[in-house]
Amino acid sequence: MFSANGFILRVLSVKRGWLMAYIELENVTFCYPGQSRPVLRDINLSIYKEGVTAITGANGSGKTTFSKLLIGILTPTKGWIKLNGQLLTSLTLAQIGRRIGYVFQNPGKQLFCETVEEEIAFGVRNLGLGLSTDQVAQKVRMVLDYFELTRYAQVYPLSLSAGEKRRLAIAAVFVLEPDLLLLDEPTTGLDPYRKKLLGDYLDKVIAAKRGVVIISHDQKFISRYATRLIKLQEGQFVEE
Amino acid sequence: MSDLDPRTKIVSILCLSTLAVFLNEPWPLLLLFVFTLLILLFLRINFFRITMRFKKLLPLLLLMLIIQSIFTAGGEVLISFHDINILTSNGINSALCILFRLLTLFSSAMIIMTSSSKDYVLALTQLKIPYEIAFMVLVALRFLPIFIEEIKDTLVAIQLRGVDLQRIPWRHKIKFYTRFLAPLLSRVMLKAHQLAITMEARAFRVYRRRTYLRLLQYSVADYVVMVFFAIATIVVLARDFLY
Repeated sequence: MFSANGFILRVLSVKRGWLMAYIELENVTFCYPGQSRPVLRDINLSIYKEGVTAITGANGSGKTTFSKLLIGILTPTKGWIKLNGQLLTSLTLAQIGRRIGYVFQNPGKQLFCETVEEEIAFGVRNLGLGLSTDQVAQKVRMVLDYFELTRYAQVYPLSLSAGEKRRLAIAAVFVLEPDLLLLDEPTTGLDPYRKKLLGDYLDKVIAAKRGVVIISHDQKFISRYATRLIKLQEGQFVEE
Repeated sequence: MSDLDPRTKIVSILCLSTLAVFLNEPWPLLLLFVFTLLILLFLRINFFRITMRFKKLLPLLLLMLIIQSIFTAGGEVLISFHDINILTSNGINSALCILFRLLTLFSSAMIIMTSSSKDYVLALTQLKIPYEIAFMVLVALRFLPIFIEEIKDTLVAIQLRGVDLQRIPWRHKIKFYTRFLAPLLSRVMLKAHQLAITMEARAFRVYRRRTYLRLLQYSVADYVVMVFFAIATIVVLARDFLY
């Protein structure tokens, strides 16, 4: 069901010491303040900068909490998380954002600019990628074009439809070319054609030696693109 | 006291805040604040734990107190520079009054946390306030955490796209804050609009007359507390105005 090549490559790579874990979780437990039952318990996991890692689980199993821990929005109650060898708690959100591109479950929450074009250009300008104004404009045009958002370039992002907002949120993160993409329910609201577009882009990301983590319920999409499947059950991970 | 009628709690909050607004001396205001803290202690509300959530506002409060103490003239001069009086006894009095007033207003509002929001809607309607307005007050209260959540999410999104809000200079920070304010308000208004549609779709205001399964009833303790607060407020205010 899953890409056998990807799996074999990963096993071989780990055995030969080719791959270093990009994100490492050691005994991570997380409990929301005021609650006695932890959402996630003693999680030990390595995430690599290659292939598509899919994380699934029932509603309320802690998938989004897990993604927020990976991006540093939440801090583990116990244990630690390392990003490329550095403790996540020692990095600012901006520093994490330079390495991990995160698309929220509700993409409307991450749109804050006045036009679609500005939304995509925002991160490129701020991250100091050493691009000239023309290069930024060219990159933005290319992404607008790829995600078929060109005709909305001057539109107010919050007036877009739910599916368009999701496309824009994904585009605004993709343009930054982070080492690892973390997508929380990326296919919600996308039509089959745009799901395929997203999948094609994921293929490009993987080809560029970047990793993707998808948190999703979309079995069809996962089975098509994931190289590794992890299931969240009662606060713990089960690798399949 | 947590079993008291919500209307009694509303009256007690009104009395405490009225006193906090009208008293103009630091000592009576300090006593009022201590009295409010005792009520909170009685209600098992941890004032300090809740206040810590607002610790980011402390520099603002401190700045306000400093400005107040510098710009209030009169009284004994404590610090001066050449002919300019920098700190006077009246300035310190004024700053202390503001501090205790704000603390009393803030802590007295915490009394509201001891009853459910449904009880307050019932209380307001039984106080002859139209149901629509009572419900709007409730929705507004529930909207506050949503608004705070929206602000947090936007700040996270900005930072994740490379803006180190903790390290950039204030003028740039203000630029970013003003930039996201419009979309933030737009999002909140959109949510309010959606909420209004959802409410109407669920038959809000279809019938002019509403009936209630449960009616609030005053107990003896309610009457005692209300009379105590009303008399105490009148006596303190009268004493303050007369002398």
